[in-house]
Parts: sequence; C-alpha cells; structure tokens
Amino acid sequence: MSRVNPEFATELKKYGASDFSACFNCGNCTATCALSTTDSSFPREMIRYSTLGLEDEIKASLKPWQCYYCGECSSECPRQAEPGELMMSLRRWLTAKYDWTGLSGLMYKSLPASITAFVLTFIGVLAFAFQSDFDLEHMMHVGHLFESIAIASIMVVIFVPNIIRMWYFTILEPKTKVSFKNYVSSIGEFFVTMFVQKRSLDCEDNRFRWFEHFILVLGYLSLLFTTVFMDWFSSQYTFVIVFGYVVSAIVFVVTIDFVNSRMKKKKVMNQHSQPSDWFFVIWLFLMGLTAFMTRLFIDLDILEMNKWLYILHFTILVQWALIIVPFGKWTHFLYRSFAMYFAKLKEVSK
Amino acid sequence: MVLDSNSLKYMKERIGVYICHCGGNISDYVDVEELGKMFHKEENVIISKDVMFACADSNQKDMVKDIQENNLDAIVVCSCSPKLHLHTFKNVASRAGLNPSNYVQVNIREQCSWPHSDRPREATVKAAGLIRAGINRVSFSESLENIELSVKKTALVVGAGVAGMKAAIELAKSGNEVYLLEKDYFVGGRIAQKDSLFMSGQKGKDIVASLYEEIRKQPNITLFTGATIEKVSGSLGNFHIDIKVKPRFINGKADKQAVKRAMEECPVSVDDAFNMGLTKRKAIYKNYPEALPDVPVVEAGLLKDETDFVAKFASTLNMNEQDETLSFIVGSVLITTGFDNYQPKEGEFGYKTIDNVVTLPELNRLIELCPEKLVYKGKQIKTVAFIYCVGSRQKKGDNKYCSRQCCTSTIHTSLQLKEKYEKIQTYHVYRDIRTYGKQEILYAQSSKQGDLYFKYEDKELPLVELDGKSTILKVKDYLTSKQELEIEADLVVLVTGMVPREDSTHISELFKIPIGRDKFFNEIHPKLKPVETVIKGVYIGGTCQGPKNVSESVQSSLAGASKITALLKSGTVSVDPIIARVNADACTWCGKCAEVCDYTAIKEVEVDGKRIAAVNTAVCTGCGMCAPVCPVNAIEIAQYTDHEIESMIDGFMQEVQIREKEVNPEEVQEEGKVGMKEYPQVWKEILAGMTEEKNTIPQIIANSKIAGELVTFHLMTMNRYGVVVPAGMDAKEEYFYYKKK
Repeated sequence: MSRVNPEFATELKKYGASDFSACFNCGNCTATCALSTTDSSFPREMIRYSTLGLEDEIKASLKPWQCYYCGECSSECPRQAEPGELMMSLRRWLTAKYDWTGLSGLMYKSLPASITAFVLTFIGVLAFAFQSDFDLEHMMHVGHLFESIAIASIMVVIFVPNIIRMWYFTILEPKTKVSFKNYVSSIGEFFVTMFVQKRSLDCEDNRFRWFEHFILVLGYLSLLFTTVFMDWFSSQYTFVIVFGYVVSAIVFVVTIDFVNSRMKKKKVMNQHSQPSDWFFVIWLFLMGLTAFMTRLFIDLDILEMNKWLYILHFTILVQWALIIVPFGKWTHFLYRSFAMYFAKLKEVSK
Repeated sequence: MVLDSNSLKYMKERIGVYICHCGGNISDYVDVEELGKMFHKEENVIISKDVMFACADSNQKDMVKDIQENNLDAIVVCSCSPKLHLHTFKNVASRAGLNPSNYVQVNIREQCSWPHSDRPREATVKAAGLIRAGINRVSFSESLENIELSVKKTALVVGAGVAGMKAAIELAKSGNEVYLLEKDYFVGGRIAQKDSLFMSGQKGKDIVASLYEEIRKQPNITLFTGATIEKVSGSLGNFHIDIKVKPRFINGKADKQAVKRAMEECPVSVDDAFNMGLTKRKAIYKNYPEALPDVPVVEAGLLKDETDFVAKFASTLNMNEQDETLSFIVGSVLITTGFDNYQPKEGEFGYKTIDNVVTLPELNRLIELCPEKLVYKGKQIKTVAFIYCVGSRQKKGDNKYCSRQCCTSTIHTSLQLKEKYEKIQTYHVYRDIRTYGKQEILYAQSSKQGDLYFKYEDKELPLVELDGKSTILKVKDYLTSKQELEIEADLVVLVTGMVPREDSTHISELFKIPIGRDKFFNEIHPKLKPVETVIKGVYIGGTCQGPKNVSESVQSSLAGASKITALLKSGTVSVDPIIARVNADACTWCGKCAEVCDYTAIKEVEVDGKRIAAVNTAVCTGCGMCAPVCPVNAIEIAQYTDHEIESMIDGFMQEVQIREKEVNPEEVQEEGKVGMKEYPQVWKEILAGMTEEKNTIPQIIANSKIAGELVTFHLMTMNRYGVVVPAGMDAKEEYFYYKKK
C-alpha cells in the first residue's frame, strides 16, 4: 500500500516538469503514444504516480526511459499538462536518484551550482596552465593522459555504482527473478539501444531526427576513439588525421542543428529546454569545434602562437568529462541503454 | 347493436368513419380498403373511407367539408395512438362546428398493424372489432363543455427559503396577494447556512437580506414565521388554509437594547442547530446575528426553571404568549419546502465514531466560524479529504438519485479553503465528477491549484481508519489501476446529498400531492408539466421536488409563480369536463364513493331533503375510482359511462366477416396509385426539394430542409406508391439516386 504525497509534485517541478497537475486522466496521451503498449503503457500512468507522489513506484519503473519524447502526447493533451515534458523530468529525477553522489540532483535543480562547477573547472585548467608555464607540449601530453584517466575513473567511481543502484531499484527491489541465461541472452538490447536507438524509429515522423542522432552518436564515439586511442593531435598517419577532421566536423555540424531547433522551439520536445539540455548541446558543439580547430592549427603550424585555443579546448574537455558526462544529460545515453536491457530482462522473465 | 331503451336519446345517427393507411404503416398489414367498404354498410354510418394520411392537411380539410356538408354528428378516426393525434382531430371537429366530445380515436397502428405484422388477417379482424367498438362508443357520446370555475387572486407560498421568497416577490409584483409561510422563526432556509455560494461566491446571508428587504417593500406579501399548516380544504381557486403561528415570547414594545441584554445574560445554553452543533447558543437566540426578521426568539421550554432571570426581564419577555391560529382562503398554492441534508448513519465512513469526520454542510459552517485558521476540535486542519456521494446514488440504500449540486459545492468549498487559509491540501475521493455546464470551470481551477482526485466504485467503498493519532483514508483508486492508496487527512468530509424534508409526508397529506419513488414531491411530467402536481392549483418549486442547485431552485419556483399568475389572472379557470357525476335520483348516500376518493372530491349534501353525494368539479380528476364501488350505480364518469363501455364491448364481440385477399407486394405497387391531392404535406415538401433530374438523399435533405431520417423513411414509402423511383447509385456508390416518377 502506498501513501499519497502531494509534496512530490513540487519537488518534480524543480526538475523541469510543468503543470502536470492539470491532468484529468483522460488517457489521450497513452492512446496517442506510438511506443506505449498494452503490457507497458505510458505516459498516463507515470503522470498519475507523479501527481500522487508514489516515489517507490516511479523509482522501480523503467517506463520514463522507454519514451523518446516525440511530443505527440503533449500536443494531444486537452489540458496542456505536458506529459512529454513530465517524462523528460522523470528521467532527470531518476538520474538524480541513481546517482549515489547526489551531485546530479544538485545540478539539475540549481543553475548556480552548475555554473559554479563550470567556473571552478575553468580556474583549475588555468591554474594548471600557469603551473606548466604554458608549455604546449606538456599541456597536450597531460591533456591526453587526462582523457584516459577521466574515462576510467568516472566509469569505476560513478557509473558502475550508479548502474548497480539502478539495477537494484528496478530489478532486485521489485523482486524480479532473472536467470543468468537471460542476462546473457538479452544483452543485445543494450548495444542496439546504445548505438542505434532502434526503438525511437517507431515514433512518428522521426526518421530524420533518428538519422541525425545516429550520425552524432557514431561521430561522438569515433571522436572519442580517435583522440584517446589514436592520439589524433599527435598522430602522423594521414588516415587518422583526416578521419579525425571528419568526425569532429560531424559532431559540431550536427549539433548546430540541435541548438538551432532548441532555439526555434518548433517541435514540442524543444519547447521546454532546461539548462542541462543547453549545456549538453552547446558543450558538444564546442568540443567538436575546438578539437577541429586545434588539429587545424597544428597542421597550419600556428598553435604555438595560439595557445589559448588549446586551453579553451582543454577547458571544454574537462568540463565535459567531469560535469556533463557523470552528472549531466550525457548519462541518459547510458541509463537508457541499460533501461532497455533491464526492460527486456523483465519481459523475458515473466 | 344491442341498445338499452333508456339510452336511445343519446344515439348519434350521422357518423363519419376515417380509416388511415399511414402511408403503408397500417395498410401493409391491415386491409383498410376492405374495412372502409365494410363500415359503409354499418347502421348510422354516413361516411366511411380509407385515406392515405388522415393527419395530412388535405384530409383534415376534407373532413371539415364532410362534416359540414353531410351534417355529421360524430366522427371516428382509426389511425395511430390518441397520444399522437387526439387533439389534431378534436380540433378538426371544433373547426367544423362539432363538439370535440363527439370524436373518438381508434388506434389500429400500435394496437393492430405493428404488433401483429406477422398475421395480417387477424390484425384486420382485430381492427374491425376496435373500429366497431369506437363507432358504438361515439354513438353514445355527449356534447360536453369545459367547466368554468371562479378563483381568488391570492397565493400561498409554503417555505421562505430562496425559492419561496423569490417566488413570493414575483407573485406579488404580478398583482397577486401572497401569504408567505415559514416554519422557522427566521427566513432564508438552507442558503443562510452557506457562507459562499457557487459560482458567484456570494454570501447566502446577503441574498437572504436583499430578498427580505424586497418582501418588506411589497404591501401584497404577508409573511408568517414560526408558522405551520394545520388544515387544508377546498380546491383550485378556493383553498381554505388554517395555520398556527408560534409566539416569539418577546414583548413587541420592548426596548431593543433590553432585548439584547436579555440575550447576553440568558443563563441557559444548548447546541446550536443552525451551526450543526459546532457551537452553543442561548435559549434566547437568533440563528445568526443578522438573521431576519430582526427579533430574537425565546425557547420557552428551556427557561421554565429560570424564574429569577425571567422576572428580571419581565418587561422584555412575554412568557404568556399563546399560539395563534389563523385561517384564510387562497386561489393557488406554491410549495417550496426545500430539503434536508442527508444525515450519515453512525459509523458510515467513520461518522460520529472517528473524531475528525464531518459532513460538507458542517464544514461549510466551520469555515464561516473560522476567520483566520481552520481549526476543528482544537486542531489546525492542513489536509482535507472529501468523500463524495455519501447518501446519494446508493446501490443498497433508498437514495438512488444523484443530488446534482454536491460535486460543484465541494469543489467550490475546496477553492474557498485554499483562498481563505493558505496551504491547505485537499483530496477528492469521488465516484464521478458532475460539474455540469459552467461549473466545469471550477473543476479546472481546482485541479490547477493541485487538488488531487481519486475515483472509487460503489462496490469498493473507501475506508476511514485511525492509525495512531492520524486518520487514514484507504481508497482503491480506479485511476491508478485500482491500486490501494492511503491518504492521511486532518479532516475527512462526507459530501452528503439532499433528502426530502422530514415533514414532507405531512405536507403531502395536507395537500394530497403525491410523493415519488425518491420520496420528493412529484410533478405530473418532468418535461411538459414540470411544476404542476396532480392537484389542480397546487404547484411545487425548488428542492422539495428533487435535488437542485440555487439557480435551478429559483428557476422552478419562478416557473410555478408564473403558472399561478397565469391561472389566477382572469379570475376564472376552465377545466376538462371528464369528471365524475352523480345521478341524484339513484344516489342513497352510503359514502362508499367518498371513502375511495383520493382527492376528497366527494361530499355529502342535502338536496330537497335527500342526502346524496356531490362532486366538487374543481377537485375531481376523473380518475374513476368511485364509479365501480357504487352499489346502486348512481355515479359515473363523463365519456366513460356504462352505456359507452358496454356498447364498446358489444361492438368488439360482434363477429367480423372479412373477404380474404392475397397479399402480393408487386400488386401493391401497381394498385397503390395515389393522387397528388392525397399526398401528405411531407411528401409534397420532399418532391419540391427534388429537381427534375435524379437526386441523392443528401441532396434532397439539403433542398427540402426536412430531417434526414424522415426523408429516408418517406422516400421508401413514396417508392412503394410509385411517387418516386430509384435510379442507380451515385459515382461513389454511397447513395441511391431517386427520381420523380
């Protein structure tokens, strides 16, 4: 039996949810949703849980991750309760719940906290630059090292415990019995979601957006691979150099369109941008652009005269790796993939 | 035809009989042509013919002509139910100068062709029997005139709530003298107990005060408070009313300040019924400080032992006042006695067994009594849970009805709570929200302000339980996949419905007005006679008739007031002549007829030294209860005399010989040629809407502006009679084309 808690709505609104209390449970949102099925129906159910503040039910649910925010529900809602935005906010709230450090929640709820984090990291990079006497070679060496260390440590310290928590909330606590065989056989779902996002193709009129997103993911992962493992900035191989140019260009060109649609607000999903959404797209854009420019300056042999560019790139990189990836919107990429995997587990273990 | 020799003087000798095809509705199964020929040979029947549509304008004109040219003294139309066309043909008779009582309608559609469509021959035989019965009946028909009664231009309004007060004012403005009766010592009724009324948020007391002010300005209104009706006799136009007025025990000449002092110093206190026991009041009291009339009342019984106090205020209090009995005559009565709040049984959702469970009317009083913080039994209230439909829409109980106003009233209260006291969370545990019409806006506001709604079903009622110090409401919420949810609430409010006034049976007995299955007073017809009762001259308005909100109450009481004004305006009224009448020679006054009369219309009178029964023509409804109980057959109902009924039975029993005819649909089409003159009006209109080319049904509907289903229906019949023919499908294969033939 669950106790009703109307305070929860106030809490959830801090994560960006708009006026979902206006909902009168007609169910148009669920009816119109292309992804909702009889077995797993949303978003009405999640709205109901949110209005009543049934936190345990929400925490155990994977449904917020099953939504790709096409916005159809919000346009059909007769009460302007913005169900699509509520699902988005629930994803933010869930991210905060999974995160054992509590920093995710802090940054989602408070813009000053996020800005402070960005400023502090900037000061840190500047201090490091001073300390290394603006020695470009040293800085680039440390920068490259930072990437590998940051990836490894964030994975171990933040993501692994958080994924375990997510697994505990959604599989273990609701007492879903999953056999080892199922854990193995369902893993395909995880990779398909992570790389292809096949499910979002079922959303209405989503082919172009899906393609953009697909290209961006490939571009982003390739850029990561090129810089970390192929050491793009120091590489002498023409193929690696050209490949780096292509993938970094993909990242910043595609993100231009993403930033643009958030500014134009034509689609429902772009109408309620939160600071975390802006940080994500802008930093991704800056990352692609500064990486591209840095390599260009290396090839033109003018980076030595323009050290500021690398410092800028490094700052963006540090902020991306220490703020946006572990505590910001980047996590959606990870949690959604796991959510689909867990959902599959629940389905096969019925 | 078997005739009683006494009744020969009644016989009609020139009867016209019209048998209707109803465009095939009747003639497809009943052989109307054969019947037409058959009754032509009947004794005293001058005209007998079958017609395509008896109700068609052209036929009505022909009938008038027939009656006048052939000097007919009675007519029979054999067509559909009298509910449909009795008045149509009575009017035809009137237009032709024939008394409408000399008209009889025989129903051969609902009673023959439709129910016996599988056995056309038997249907025809039955129709023949019914028609013969009709002819026999009409041959004994008498010419009757409506009864004219003189009435007094005075009205009695029972109950000075918002409905009664408003109606009294309107009646007075329309030139009637009005007696306004209130059982309580103060006017206003239930709305005085409401601090805020939806949708305007107006205070009930303010409305009461302004109506009272208007009443005082009307010299035609006499208001009695503390008054009850003791006896009612008489009838429409002349009701004799006896009332009893209880005293206030306050000296009329006493100084106002002294009265105030007496109120303050009064040593006896009791539970305040007006505040539903939430507060105490003195034995000298007013319902609320501004209550009107502005004179307090002494509850004399409570001051019996307080001799010192009474002695001290001897000049102010007048403890020797006695009940006063008054009588007056009124022409018409409007009953606006209102409703009682449903009182939950002990233990119903924790009422009276759990401390913080109250009803909505109690909460409404509480809100008015708490200006700053909402406090109940010393505890500040921050969360309120409403349980809807308590005492309404009961599956097991008697109250099957919805009380109409409680959903909106609750939501209005919830809005009021948030406005008056900050940070109050409300929970609404409902079955269905019925905030109809404009009231829907309130629901939108409520959900916007964050009120939470939970839906329960009658089979799984919510439970109110104590959990340590807090009260928990457990509800299986249909909006959360029937999950059982717990709601913690500082105050649980039972949204109680409306029930009839406790003493409504007494009122019903006094005025002889019927009570419905819901125990509220019953109108004659919910749509067509919504404020009329079966007692002529007695009207009902407001919630004594059934649950209503304030606007609806006033609407219905004003409708009653208008009916009364129209009724009394001319000083006379005309009533239907179909009533009981007594044969003074035969009657020996045994009183049996008076015993069975539900309306006390029969009284004993003495005529030329003989005691006989007399019928009060204004009161009699012609129900017919008296006629069969008379041992000497001295009482009968006009138009339903023994001669008429017996002759009908005889007519129906007579053997019918009908020439059998093969029914062949193709033949029908060939034979069924009708002339333009005989077409019913609707056929003419359809034809006018058709062009010379082929037309689809939607085109015809658009051109003729006749309802679609009528066009479809009539085109089928017109096709059968060769008036139109189908001419293939349209390009989209959706509709048939029809063409004029």
